[in-house]
Amino acid sequence: MRFLGWFKYRSPFGIAFMFQRITGLILVFYLCLHLAFLTSLQERELYEHFTSITVSKQFFIFDSLLILCGVFHGLNGIRIIIHEFGYAHEHRKAILVIFAVLILFAWLYGSYIMYMALGD
Amino acid sequence: MKFRIRRFDEKRGSYWQSFEVPVTTAMTVLDGLFYIRENLDSSLAFRASCRMGICGSCAVKINGRPRLACETQVSKFREVKIEPLDNFAVIKDLVTEFEGFFAKHKKVKPYLINPKADYENPVEQIQTPEELKVYYDFSLCIKCGACHSVCPAAATLEGYLSPAALVSAYRFNADSRDHGKEERLKIVSAADGVWRCHSAMECSEVCPKQIEPAKAIQLLRVATLR
Amino acid sequence: MRGFEPLAWLFQVITGILMVFLITVHFLVTHSAHNLLSYESVIERLSRLDYRLFYALLLFVVSFHALNGLRAVILDTEGGMRRKKLVNASVALVAVIMIAYGLFLLFKL
Repeated sequence: MRFLGWFKYRSPFGIAFMFQRITGLILVFYLCLHLAFLTSLQERELYEHFTSITVSKQFFIFDSLLILCGVFHGLNGIRIIIHEFGYAHEHRKAILVIFAVLILFAWLYGSYIMYMALGD
Repeated sequence: MKFRIRRFDEKRGSYWQSFEVPVTTAMTVLDGLFYIRENLDSSLAFRASCRMGICGSCAVKINGRPRLACETQVSKFREVKIEPLDNFAVIKDLVTEFEGFFAKHKKVKPYLINPKADYENPVEQIQTPEELKVYYDFSLCIKCGACHSVCPAAATLEGYLSPAALVSAYRFNADSRDHGKEERLKIVSAADGVWRCHSAMECSEVCPKQIEPAKAIQLLRVATLR
Repeated sequence: MRGFEPLAWLFQVITGILMVFLITVHFLVTHSAHNLLSYESVIERLSRLDYRLFYALLLFVVSFHALNGLRAVILDTEGGMRRKKLVNASVALVAVIMIAYGLFLLFKL
């Protein structure tokens, strides 16, 4: 299948493109789940049933991965926007490294905030 | 030095063949290929011409990465694995079909367009060094096809214009002597043109002339907005 | 302008940048303290006009970016490119439905 051609890159830039695509698709899928979640708000019991599963320490790992997807897609997207306006192609390696660090920190910080909010 | 080559012919299909090649000082991969053809197996097919990195004929995938065989030193590697370029149809061994690639170039009108040109009364077209600098780097393309072979868009869509053609389009649009900007922008702004690029930047990573095709494509995008 | 693709790209960029801020705000509003996701908290937020406007904006921005992004991925395939008009129309339709449904939920709750 030809579209597998998106997933065979060696340079860090090709790998970033691959993950941008994968995280984008995961986030679209999550968007649909989120709309289902919001639909459940129409009935209190249903909503509370969902949140009892998803807002819990057991489910936290999935939420943390979701934060990683979102943070990666957003910050890598900003990096891509910089290059898509024609800027800084000569410094693309340095920019990639800077954004990789930003992504790592944003993910860890976001996960920390979410974990603290789980409380009891 | 062991040379492992992915060969192809219509009867056998694709198959690997190894050769032991004696290494000499400053030997290039192309030297190795010539040695094989002259001494070990005269049926090996590959393209080469200038042997000095200017014609673009000898681009092949060496140890997983497209390079010019004439500019790649064998001493860089422990073993040399050679394959034909990806995203091109293989005709035989390392020789791939290039007609489609050149057709894409032709599509973007890679020549100076000047409706006012009067060949009976020619006028010199003056260009300052600053005006030259704007497009000079992009004029260095040797049409080797390395960028096309690593582009994810080219891998999945047959009709994608390819980084090389888009670099050519930008080179002419940015040339102060050219008057065909609108025509070319319309061509590259079609659905299978610049919009299929998603900045994977693989092309910029492998260009043997360090042209940064990704930059040319993005500059074309920005130009379509105006 | 040359067709709608340049504009679609420009809006993909603008919505992308906006989303980095809006989603961060949304995340902090819902996760920076305990019980922000309880039924009462959520309903209380959704009853306020300023939150409703914020969520409506977020809905527009997310729907455009997600569906335009999906459109780009589909058009990158041979099958998608051959049926360009159908893909563009379907994605636009799904976006409209998503926005309409989101707004419906937003003002009903």
